Amino acid sequence: MAQSQGKALMTDTVLSQEDLAGDRGASEEEQVAAVGGSRFWTRFRRNRLALSAGGFLVLLLSLLVLAPYITTHDPEQATRFQDGLFPPGSDYWWGTDAVGRDIYTRVIYGTRFAFTAGAVAVGTALIIGVPLGLVIGFFRGWVDRIIMRLVEAVVAVPAVVFAIAIIAVVGTGLVRAMFAIGIVYSMIITRLTRAEVFAAREELYVDGARASGASNLRIMFRHILPNIAPALIVQTTLLFATSVLAEAALSFLGLGAGPKQASWGRLLRSAQESIDQSIWPAFPPGIAIFVTVVAFNVFGDGLRDAFGREARGGRVGVGDVERADVTDGASVQGASAAANQPDPTALLSVRNLSVRFPRPGTTEDVDVVHGVNFDIGKGEVLALVGESGSGKSITALSVLGLVPDPGKASASSIMLDGKELVDMDFNELRLIRGKEIGLISQEPSAALNPAYTVGRQIAEPLRYHLGMSKKDARVRSIELMTRVGIPDPEVRIDSFPHQFSGGMAQRVVIAMALACSPKLLIADEPTTALDVTVQGQVLDLIGDLAKELGVGVLLITHDLGVVSELADRAAVMYAGEIVEAGTLVDVFHRPQHPYSEGLIKAIPRNEVREGELPTIDGVVPPPWMWPKGCHFAPRCPHATEQCREKDVELRPSGASQTRCIRADELDLIGVAGKNKRTFVPIVDTEVRDD
Amino acid sequence: MFMVGTLVFFMMQLNPVDPTAFLLGDDTTDETVERAREDLGLNRPVLTQYGDWISSAAQGDLGVSWFNGEEVTTLLRQRAAKTLTVALGSMLIAVTLGVSLGILAAIKAGRWQDRLVTVVSSLGIAVPNFWVAIILAAVFAVKLRWFPAIWSNSRTDSIWGWIYTIILPCIALGTAASAAIARQARSAMIGVLQQDYIRTALAKGLPVRRVIFRHAMRNAAIPVVTLMGFQLSALIGGSIFVEFIFNIPGLGTLGVQAVQRNNMPVTLGFVMVTTLVVVIANILLDMSYAWLNPKVRR
Repeated sequence: MAQSQGKALMTDTVLSQEDLAGDRGASEEEQVAAVGGSRFWTRFRRNRLALSAGGFLVLLLSLLVLAPYITTHDPEQATRFQDGLFPPGSDYWWGTDAVGRDIYTRVIYGTRFAFTAGAVAVGTALIIGVPLGLVIGFFRGWVDRIIMRLVEAVVAVPAVVFAIAIIAVVGTGLVRAMFAIGIVYSMIITRLTRAEVFAAREELYVDGARASGASNLRIMFRHILPNIAPALIVQTTLLFATSVLAEAALSFLGLGAGPKQASWGRLLRSAQESIDQSIWPAFPPGIAIFVTVVAFNVFGDGLRDAFGREARGGRVGVGDVERADVTDGASVQGASAAANQPDPTALLSVRNLSVRFPRPGTTEDVDVVHGVNFDIGKGEVLALVGESGSGKSITALSVLGLVPDPGKASASSIMLDGKELVDMDFNELRLIRGKEIGLISQEPSAALNPAYTVGRQIAEPLRYHLGMSKKDARVRSIELMTRVGIPDPEVRIDSFPHQFSGGMAQRVVIAMALACSPKLLIADEPTTALDVTVQGQVLDLIGDLAKELGVGVLLITHDLGVVSELADRAAVMYAGEIVEAGTLVDVFHRPQHPYSEGLIKAIPRNEVREGELPTIDGVVPPPWMWPKGCHFAPRCPHATEQCREKDVELRPSGASQTRCIRADELDLIGVAGKNKRTFVPIVDTEVRDD
Repeated sequence: MFMVGTLVFFMMQLNPVDPTAFLLGDDTTDETVERAREDLGLNRPVLTQYGDWISSAAQGDLGVSWFNGEEVTTLLRQRAAKTLTVALGSMLIAVTLGVSLGILAAIKAGRWQDRLVTVVSSLGIAVPNFWVAIILAAVFAVKLRWFPAIWSNSRTDSIWGWIYTIILPCIALGTAASAAIARQARSAMIGVLQQDYIRTALAKGLPVRRVIFRHAMRNAAIPVVTLMGFQLSALIGGSIFVEFIFNIPGLGTLGVQAVQRNNMPVTLGFVMVTTLVVVIANILLDMSYAWLNPKVRR
């Protein structure tokens, strides 16, 4: 799930745990394959907390048998009547209750009742719930509708109340009470099984089984049941925990275990009766219940994690943004002194920007962006080009001071129109964000808050930065919506984001980014999520607005087609570094780095071509695997020993800058001709490798 | 609105199903009532009884108690206020505490505050609420005498006296519920904070407080509200124990007594009323969905 929705933020910017762990494809497969098999056990064994909870439960189980041997007194009779409410001591380890029964003995025996209770309740729930859920989930139709209505009706009654009502019918007593609880739980199991069957039905293996002539019954029990088992096992464990609580509760009320029986609920009841004399007897059974329930819960959660059904929470949080300022003092080893000085004439001038993230599973930090320099002039469009994982999005976020936790950005300088952004704290940067820098992100539907009308969202920066009244902000929002080409803005302003198509939603985002007439626009893959037909319109809009309003644009993209439409200059990023920078014409026609050449060759063109589209083999490796020397060397067809010896600096080559030491000797192929609007490269010559 | 209609429909469905089961069960198993059967009209065919009960119940008449001949509706009305205020009070505590802890944990995800909240809340859901009630009653009502240990009609005549009396029960009930809500609020909030629109809001230069309380909270509230529905049901159930421990003559004590004495009309009325409360609460929660999530609006 996080995989698709968080693409912009997660994949190549945050370098989430999974992405850092390797390429995404593998981790998805891992998740799918994780159900069952040895991977389950390795994962579970790694979870020490759940393991010890399991160990503790085994210990409790052994108490069922061992109780008579390790206890000191009779669980149901007092040794001497006058021994009431003894404090803990050598004879009565945990003291005695009001009638002189040994609390230690009773608590130990209590495990028998707790487990009996759990077994009866969960057993009942499974026996009723699983077949029922399987059947209604499999056959659906009117049976399903009627039974689900019943289930929902029962669930509407508070569980305890319903159980009490059943007890009214079947009578009191431990087993009967837990049977009643089991009936309530069977509703939960039915619902769960049904939902899982619904999901499993759609899977291929069910079709396969049906095609091979298996009967419905066989499909249900042989094919579907094993696949929904993980969810059931987890739920069963958790229900065991609530059964222990329910037993205690009902016995406490006098509806469960009998007065003499040493159930934990009964112990609490007798403790409560003498509570004004001594509070102590309430503690041992209370703690016993508590510890047992915690153990079951931890064990169940551990199982769930091991089955891989629930995604682990990421570590991205808003509070972290506060720390994600761009601090001074980054010293890039050996960077030339001249390169360290920001360009005073540029609109945005970034020097020595680095971003560090801890490598997942370790405390060691790795650079995901390293020593990045670039300048954007007023009204100029700079394209930052690279594959996923090259660090281009995180570079853009650094400028806004929005590097997600636990990343740390540093730079020697980030100058925006004469203002130094490095060293600004979160609140100082806040006055820059949205006012002087506008952000357009990848997925317009995700970038808009689903809970508010687009009008409110466009008006927000107007009200915050320009102090406009509600009325003025609304008028201005309508103007903005008109400007970005949204029809009927007076009506659409009160619509919610889900009522917009992707292209229209992106126009809303652009209107929002432009609301305060920013000097700089950061467009992070602005067209990736859009239909091809809409892409061109949105690009045209951004380009026109940039020219018209004199806004500088930092365009992040992996799509060279987009670059050729919009950009004046291009900076090619690979593995956290800018490997080549120059004007669009220079980079496209006379690439100075083999990586740029590879990207250019991979552009599909309007021409007849034989064989497959050339691609660059492999993917960008995760940051801790970046090699010494040239980062691209392992994938470079031209790499030599020399390339791997030491880190390569960005240096002038031709009209551009490059990080390739062999740029002069190589004869890299660019685009032979270029027409800015349509970009139809004419010839693709053979690769002349030397 | 559609959901409200569905729920009301479920409620209608619910009424005929449960009472028949109970009447049937009672008819065949219980001997103690046998003698009184004639007086109570239990010798009539089950379906006639059921028909009578359901038709008068539909008019708001739930019959009379088999023991003292009191009107069941009167009994329930006298006691409902106590149970409801306890349940709502504990809900208030649970939501306030749970949501603030959950948000704190989410904002500080991975830091000590988060770990503390996570540990405390997973322990919190394992504590039996009636045990908390016992301890609170013993310490604050019996030992320290800060709060009353027993319901007194003279004190609860005033609204402050009422609140004062139900504070301890509410805390006892609200603790476990707040732990569950904190867990849900935390994971919902963490999920929402990773959304693109949060980054958009930050990129607009909004203050963190506004981003969290406006942009994130409303979206994170949806799963929390769902959980509140379940929790309210659990709280009404839990109030039975708390009433028992704090000697509050509420619905719970009435219901348990009725079950123990096999007082069928009262038991039925008890189930009906608690269910009604839960159903009404769920309708209200469903209405809040429409406000929280524009997509479900029609």
